[in-house]
Amino acid sequence: MSFDEDGHLERGKTPTVMNPNDKVALRAALQTKVRHGGSVDLASMGPPGYKEVLAEGMEDVYADDLYLFSDREMGAADTWATAMTVATGIDKMEETPDLIFAGFKTADGETGHTGPQTNWCLNINENLPDYPLITHVVAIDVDEDEGTVRVKRLVEGDVSEIETVEVDLPAFVVTDPEFEPSYRKAEHRLRYKDFREDARERAETAEDEVTVWNHEDLNLDPDFIGLDGSPTIVSGVDPIPKGEGAREATELTPDDEEGMEQVFEEMQPFAAGD
Amino acid sequence: MVEIDPTEHEIADLGPMLKDVDDPDELREMLELEEGGEDRAPVKTLIEDRLEKLEGDEEDVDPASVDLTDLTIAEIANMVRDVEDADVLEDLLEREKDGKDRKGAKSQIESRIESVTGGDEDETVEVEYVPPEEKYPELDHPTEDKRYVEGVSGETYRDMWVYCETQHGELLDVSKEMLGKARQMMDDYNADPDSDSSDDESTSSYGGDEDGNPEEVIAVVIGDDVEELAEQAVAYGADRAVFHDDDRLERFRHKPYTEIMCHMARDWDVEWRDYHEPRYTIFPATDNGRDLSALVQGELDSGLASDCSDLYIQDAMISNPAKTGTPGDSKEFDRILHMPRPDFSGFEYSTILCIDKPHRDFHPQGASVIPGTFDLQEPDEGREGEVVEHDIDLPEEWFMTEITDADQLEEGVDLTGYEVVVALGRGIGRDPTEGIELGVDLVDAFEDAELGLSRGVITASYQFGSHVEQYVAEERQIGESGQVVEPDLYIAAGISGAVQHTVGMEDSDTVISINTDADADIKDFSDYYIQGDLFEVLPRLTDALAEGDLAAAVQEASDD
Repeated sequence: MSFDEDGHLERGKTPTVMNPNDKVALRAALQTKVRHGGSVDLASMGPPGYKEVLAEGMEDVYADDLYLFSDREMGAADTWATAMTVATGIDKMEETPDLIFAGFKTADGETGHTGPQTNWCLNINENLPDYPLITHVVAIDVDEDEGTVRVKRLVEGDVSEIETVEVDLPAFVVTDPEFEPSYRKAEHRLRYKDFREDARERAETAEDEVTVWNHEDLNLDPDFIGLDGSPTIVSGVDPIPKGEGAREATELTPDDEEGMEQVFEEMQPFAAGD
Repeated sequence: MVEIDPTEHEIADLGPMLKDVDDPDELREMLELEEGGEDRAPVKTLIEDRLEKLEGDEEDVDPASVDLTDLTIAEIANMVRDVEDADVLEDLLEREKDGKDRKGAKSQIESRIESVTGGDEDETVEVEYVPPEEKYPELDHPTEDKRYVEGVSGETYRDMWVYCETQHGELLDVSKEMLGKARQMMDDYNADPDSDSSDDESTSSYGGDEDGNPEEVIAVVIGDDVEELAEQAVAYGADRAVFHDDDRLERFRHKPYTEIMCHMARDWDVEWRDYHEPRYTIFPATDNGRDLSALVQGELDSGLASDCSDLYIQDAMISNPAKTGTPGDSKEFDRILHMPRPDFSGFEYSTILCIDKPHRDFHPQGASVIPGTFDLQEPDEGREGEVVEHDIDLPEEWFMTEITDADQLEEGVDLTGYEVVVALGRGIGRDPTEGIELGVDLVDAFEDAELGLSRGVITASYQFGSHVEQYVAEERQIGESGQVVEPDLYIAAGISGAVQHTVGMEDSDTVISINTDADADIKDFSDYYIQGDLFEVLPRLTDALAEGDLAAAVQEASDD
């Protein structure tokens, strides 16, 4: 079994830090590797500096192969152009993954769209199997014998719900920030330890072992990726206007006895009774 | 080796000789020779002057005489932008043809000629379509084969489609909010342009579509037994509500919901849908709504902005060459949905536009909106509108994911309805456990209070002492992705005041903030702003409340 982890680090302003939502996806991939074996590959799209992030991710989740899709032509991509690039990268990988994990959002205000859109790009690629999409996943359990995966997913609405969803492998899983891995058996904890030692040994050279593919390697038209392939553009950035709740504050410091007295008077009517 | 070694010549001879030297590098070498040899100041000045003249010239190339083979296409593009004389441009074009004859360079010059000569009735120059095989001969061009790219251009688009999410047989509040907003936008859009009084951030009036016919608000309702909800959608503002009923659709499932909505919007053959695709699509930014928006917009080969905090339709002047096709040119795109959304920082918003590019349409222009962003309007039961059933066969393979169970989550802590809310932010970071303790102490000193948290505390990887861990949970979060509270008294300790937080507390009656920063954004939402350390201020406030007598005594003293 081979697992692929899709790190979604595009558009990051701080390329040397892994986005916390992606770490969640990594933990889900690791849990699956520890419990069921197989390998975990990490992939991301971003500038060459992201090699460092992938190397860091390798140590975190004891990943096997690392891939970076990196090219000037891929720059300034929105989620659509990113999804196309990442999906094409997955297609080019030697082994077709059984499970693909993606984080929910990037750290710099991305949209939560990249996972679903990557899934959608994969599913219209005729070289690849159909990957049913499961999002907002907080717990995951793979049944190797049945070839199924069972997850719990969060659904918000006017009331919040938790769904149990079952699907045959292969599948595409987008983790929720609330995801928690679990290692119940002693055997799992031992295996976890072995992986950690192995990863430590490989950590020093990990950055050099990243497979980097540019648009020519992926055979992607520049017009369909990066800024040129993006339906959306940012037309302007403005400060948030002051809302209706805006007010003029009385400013004071804790030494200002009169001011503190005023504050206390505001609070006193709500003080606990005797 | 240089032709002229200045040390071998008299200064009077060097003047005329230097005039024929056009290579700055050669001049620099001559300068070095002079410095290493005779080192005569007037000679050095002479060479330096010549060097300056040459290099100065380079910044300001004369288009009438420049050697085009020395310039890149980008440099040519920059140069011709300043040329007003059509004859000079024509001459440039000839010289490029005689020289390197580059397609890109020629089209730059041609389009400039077009714009200085006025072109044909001032129309924008059409960007020539170059098939990818010609443009990038080194690639195999799989992108066009893959069905990722619909690649239509110049198609027709009309109407604003609103996906109305449901839960337990009811429309979500956000669905009703979106319908109200869509109604208002399309009423403005359809209004007479002469009476347009719209300001910067409201929808312009276009008098309907390009032919002057009004465009509609179309509601989409998908589920089990939802016809009645479609009728409700009309009462909330839709002109037409289309619904798809199937008992397998009782709960949201990615594949069938996406396929159904795309069929309705693009493939459905009904008389009133006489266009290629919707002009605009609006979705709720809920867990499922956001997923659906990404999938539908992807399948319709277009883009979207998520978590929008406002929406309006206006023309947009765009200079991004990815959209205009020509670097340096600005082009006006009309009827563009403007989609402002808060940045991650929470202190700025970016306005996102989804815009066609040459030879590829990006319609519908899609957005998802944060629940609670727009006002919930009263339904108008008398509103007239058409309810239309959509009925296609749903193949079994669309239902590969099986939902075996669904439970309502424990509602957890409800922060609304308390007299007082004490909220803690990242200001507790110095000692998170003590910070929570101090917050809880203050809460206990009030009669009817609860503890709230900013998103920052929940996402930080603080280590908490086990006795306070129970307080650190998402259910206590206040703001956009948490709860919205409006207590009589709101105390914000160590909270900077990102908009994601302030939308959850700005309607509180009295707001007291404590922050070490003299100018945190929360100040603009505060009645009292104590610039100080919460670790010092919170215990003082708690003590003062507990020992009300003492405070009263202090007050008596100060009254004297």
